[in-house]
Parts: sequence; structure tokens; C-alpha cells
Amino acid sequence: MIDFFIGMFLATLISALFTTRLYRLLFWYSMNSLALAFLALYIGQDINDNPLIISGMVTLIFKAIGIPYFLKKLSLKHQINRSIPPNISVHYAIILIPGILVFTFYLAQPLSQMMSEHANYVAISISSLFLALILMMQHKSIAPKIIGFLTIENSLFLLATTATGGMPMIVELGIFFDLLMAIVIINLLFLKNEETT
Amino acid sequence: MLYLLILPPLLMFLVSFSHARNSKYILSFSTFLILIPIVSLFLMQKPFHLLDDYLIVDKLNSYVLLLVSIVAIGVSLSLLTLYKHVKIQEREYHRFYRFFAIFWVGLIISILANHMGIFWIGLELATLSTVYMIKTNKSKNASAEAWNYMLVGAIGVSLVLFGIILMYASAKPILGEDAMNFSSLLLHAKEIPYPFLFEMGFAISAVGLFVKMGFFPMNLWLTNIERAAFYPVAALFSGMLETSVILGFFRFSDIAKEVNYWHLFGFTMLYSTITIFIVAFLIYRSKDFIRLFALSGIEHMALVAIFWVSGGTFAALLHLGAHAFIKPSLFLATGILESNGKYNFNGALKGYHGVKGKIFLFLVGLFLLAIISLPPSPMFFSEIYGFSAMISFAKGSDYFLLIIVNIIILLLLLSIIFYKFVNVYQMMKYEGKERQKKVYFGEIAALALFALCIVFLMLPSSLKYLRGIV
Repeated sequence: MIDFFIGMFLATLISALFTTRLYRLLFWYSMNSLALAFLALYIGQDINDNPLIISGMVTLIFKAIGIPYFLKKLSLKHQINRSIPPNISVHYAIILIPGILVFTFYLAQPLSQMMSEHANYVAISISSLFLALILMMQHKSIAPKIIGFLTIENSLFLLATTATGGMPMIVELGIFFDLLMAIVIINLLFLKNEETT
Repeated sequence: MLYLLILPPLLMFLVSFSHARNSKYILSFSTFLILIPIVSLFLMQKPFHLLDDYLIVDKLNSYVLLLVSIVAIGVSLSLLTLYKHVKIQEREYHRFYRFFAIFWVGLIISILANHMGIFWIGLELATLSTVYMIKTNKSKNASAEAWNYMLVGAIGVSLVLFGIILMYASAKPILGEDAMNFSSLLLHAKEIPYPFLFEMGFAISAVGLFVKMGFFPMNLWLTNIERAAFYPVAALFSGMLETSVILGFFRFSDIAKEVNYWHLFGFTMLYSTITIFIVAFLIYRSKDFIRLFALSGIEHMALVAIFWVSGGTFAALLHLGAHAFIKPSLFLATGILESNGKYNFNGALKGYHGVKGKIFLFLVGLFLLAIISLPPSPMFFSEIYGFSAMISFAKGSDYFLLIIVNIIILLLLLSIIFYKFVNVYQMMKYEGKERQKKVYFGEIAALALFALCIVFLMLPSSLKYLRGIV
């Protein structure tokens, strides 16, 4: 089941990379967060870790539902262009994405001799970090860059959940607090942009 | 103690909502309150813990906290006369202070952190609050750079957290949740069951911290942001943010040193040398003060990192202190240097009259020559100590020739930077037309404060304290 959720996480992230419309990108981000939330809930229930279950619930409410909804509202309010063609063409992306996956598995290979269970999860987390960075880099407009930033947060959470069985609760809460503050700042920046233009 | 440290920024935050006539002065002078807890920190027996084990006060972070606090005081003094140099609405001015206060709290938390997660939370808080400070400038360029900062800064901080998680995972089997704790990790560094995982985490975290300081490959993002924002933001970045970020590097590298010293040394040396290589040529080509000083800040931070991992901890701390005082002074001076004939080096040191003008002229000349390590600048001594530490390190290693060649390359690159700064100084002093410039109390007070602190830094008792830190 863990493998299934991680596979879903990676698949939604790769789909997001090929998306050319903003709302579709928000949808894939939401699905990505949903896979992550179910993964955290499943692992949390499996190892009987209440903080991880709480983190999973918070991910489900905020990242899978709240943030995509808020960003959609924001894009409507500020009339953000919904067409977001990526800078890296599909032909190159098809070569680049598997390349990154292979590279990260190669990078994490020494771990497989040390850690029998989690080595592949670490590799997938690192690859999702790189893919999220590509998502940020391949778009010129701000909105997909924000989604890229939020996806980086997701890959961090994936790493924390799979490699460590969850971070200490204070850190999890701190990360969520910072994420909320980031959203507030993003909102402020959009407002200020309107004032400037 | 923690409450006393948080009190001045908290007061600043609250007063920033007031629009009373004197609030500007209260905002500025409230920063002086930080000196009370800082002085008492120096009088107390260290190390001691705060908030259970999450925060720690030791000699190293007390020193960094002192540097950061003095920069905060200096910048807030110069903010008194900001509106005389740039166009800023009162509402924006108060908002700037509001986010300055959040930024300061974030830095205090990250400096005092004994917990990798808390360190990260503080750093992220500081990063996010800076976005709005950049945005205080209403130009379109500043708006674009605020977004840039938000995103690239977030990437840097995310890399730091990614590395922290890997380091935590590497030590969790033996330390449990204490694997997040700097002091526990340092104590059990040699027993970490997955050293490869730890080193991978350290490398990713270090790259994140380096990105935040404008190291390779992000050499230009910080300079562009500092160019676009109002000049006090650049002073805050160089004096407060970079100083706190490098403290994080010190903490992580202390543990990495125990895991595998050679890997740490090789990684830092290579990364910092590449950074200085690129920065030296960018400095050579720079055509305005802010970019020149911002790039020079990257160079100095790279030197501090190299000195630290070479075992020249005294040199690194002296260099860090000198940089924390000199660089904000220069950034604050740009408010006047660029007030006429923007972005022009020629004649920037001409046209100062009256006592304030003469003092400004003297101090700026002094700081400009101090930043390129001319004696008696503390940077002159720190570089001598730092490079001699590197040579001592090379003598005891199997890679003597490689390290010596690297030192020679570094010295050559530093000479390019030296040449550029001397050239700029001559252009400022001897070329161009004289245009009258006005100097106000705020800037003079800030520059005088920083000059006084540099003198204090060179006192035998201060140097003795620095030697005793590690």
C-alpha cells in the first residue's frame, strides 16, 4: 500500500510537469497532496503514531483542499493567465524526467546496502525534489512557480514520512505555520502587484 | 531571558501599528533595549539551555547574537532619515518595521536554536518576512525581485530542510527524536549508523545555506535583489541574515567534521573557491555600489566558511565580526553615495561639506579600505590568521600541494578584488564632477556606531573572547 501511494505521488508530480493549464496544475497538486496525506495516515496508523496521523489530516485539509481552493480563488480575483506553457518542451522533458529518476536511484544506491527498507523512498523523495525544482524553473509566470514551491514542501514531507517515520511534532507544526505564512505573503504580493500596476 | 531578547522586536512590531508623530523615534530607539539581555548573556555562565533543550546559549551564539543586535540598532538609526533619500510613504515605512521585527525574531530563534528543526523554522520565518521588506520599494523591478526572493529563498531554505531530514534519519536509530538536537548529534557523531546518509544531508543543507548567501550557482540573485530593494534591506541581509546563516553552517560542519573531516574540507574548499572565482570576475565588472558590496559580501562569507573548516575558527569569527559591521555601513552609505548621479562611482566622495559631511567622508573612506583588508582593518588580521591556519592544515595533510595551489588561486582572486576596490576608491575621490550631497544624523550615527564596534572588536579582551569560543 505504501508503494502504491508513493507511486501515485510520483505519477501526479510527473503529470503536473506536462500540464499547460493552471487549473489542471492545481488539480494535480491537490492529487499529489492527497496521495501524501493518505500515505501519512496509512503509515501513522500502521506504526500507531498519533502525530503522523495528525500531520496526515492537516495535509489532507490544508494541502489537498484548502490551498488549491485558495489559489484558484486568488487566480480568479487577480485574473491570472491560465495558459502556462512550460519552457522545456515535451520532447526534452520525456528524456529529462527518467534521467532524474535514474540519477537519484544511483545516488541513493549506497543507502540500499545500509537501509534495507527505506532506500528507495529516499531516492523517490530526492527525485521528487528535483522534479519540483524543474516545475519551478520551466515556467515563466508566478502561479506555477508557487505550485512548484508547494510541491517542494510535499517532497520534504514525503521524505520525512518515509525515511524517518515522521518528524518531531514541533517541527511539523513549524513547517505548517511557515507554509501558511508563505501563503499570506503570496497573497500580499499579489495585492501589492495590483497596487503597483 | 528569551522573553527579554524577544521584547525589543515585539515592541517594534506593536509600535509599528501606531501612527503617532514620535513613533518613528520609538521604533528606532526601541532596538537599543536588546543591549540589556545581550550584556547579561555575556555576564552569565555558559552554555545553558532555554525552553527545555530546544534553545541553547553558548559563547558562539552569544557572539553572533551581539553582532546581529548591533546591526539591527545601526540599521534602525539610519532608518530615521530614510525618507530623505528615497520616496517612501509613512504607511510603508511602518510596515517595513513590522516585517523587520518578524525578521529579527526569526533570526533570534535560529541563532539560539539547539535543534535543527527550530533553526530551520527561524530561518524560514526570517526569509518570508524579508519578502515584504523588498516590496516596500514600489518599483516594478522591486516587485519582480520580491517574487524572485520568495521563490529562490524558499528553494534555499527547502534544501536546508531536506538535508536536515536526511541527517535526522541517519541518526534516528541511535538517538530517537534527539537526532534533531545539535549537541546530541555532535556528542554521538562518530556513532551515526548511516554516515553516507548524514553526509548527503549535510551536503544538501550546506548547498541550501550557501544559496541563501549567494554562493555558486546563485551568485546574482542576491545582488539583483539588493539592488532592487531600498538600501537598508541590503544592510540587513549582509549584517544580520548572512551572519545567522553562516552560524548554521558552523553548527552543521562541526558535526560533519566528526563524521568525515576530509569530505567536509574538500566539499567546502571546492565550493567556496568556485564561488570566489566567479564572484571575483563579477566584482571586476560591477558598475554600481550595491552590486559591488553585495558581491564582496559573498566573497567574505566564502572566506569565513573556508577558514572555519580549515581549523582557523578564530580567524573565521574575527572575519565574520568585521564583515558584520563594515558591510552594513557601506550599504547604508550608498543612500548618500548614490543620492546624486545614481550608480556612478565617479566623484562619489566629492561634495561633502560641514562637520557631518567630513565625518561621513572619513568613515566611508575608512570602511572602503577596511573591506579590502588593508591594515589596521580586522579583516587584515583575520585573513593572515585564516591563511596561516590553512597552511598549517595543509602541512598535516596528504594533499599538501593541492591545498597550497588552492591558497595561491584564492590569493590571486583576492588581488583582483583588491585592485577593483582601490580603483573604485580612486574614481570616487579623484574623478567626476563635484555635486553637493547632504548627510543626516541617522546615517552618521549608524556609521559611527559601526566604527566604534570595529574598534571594540580589535581590543585584546574581545580577541581573547573570540579565541575562547571554540
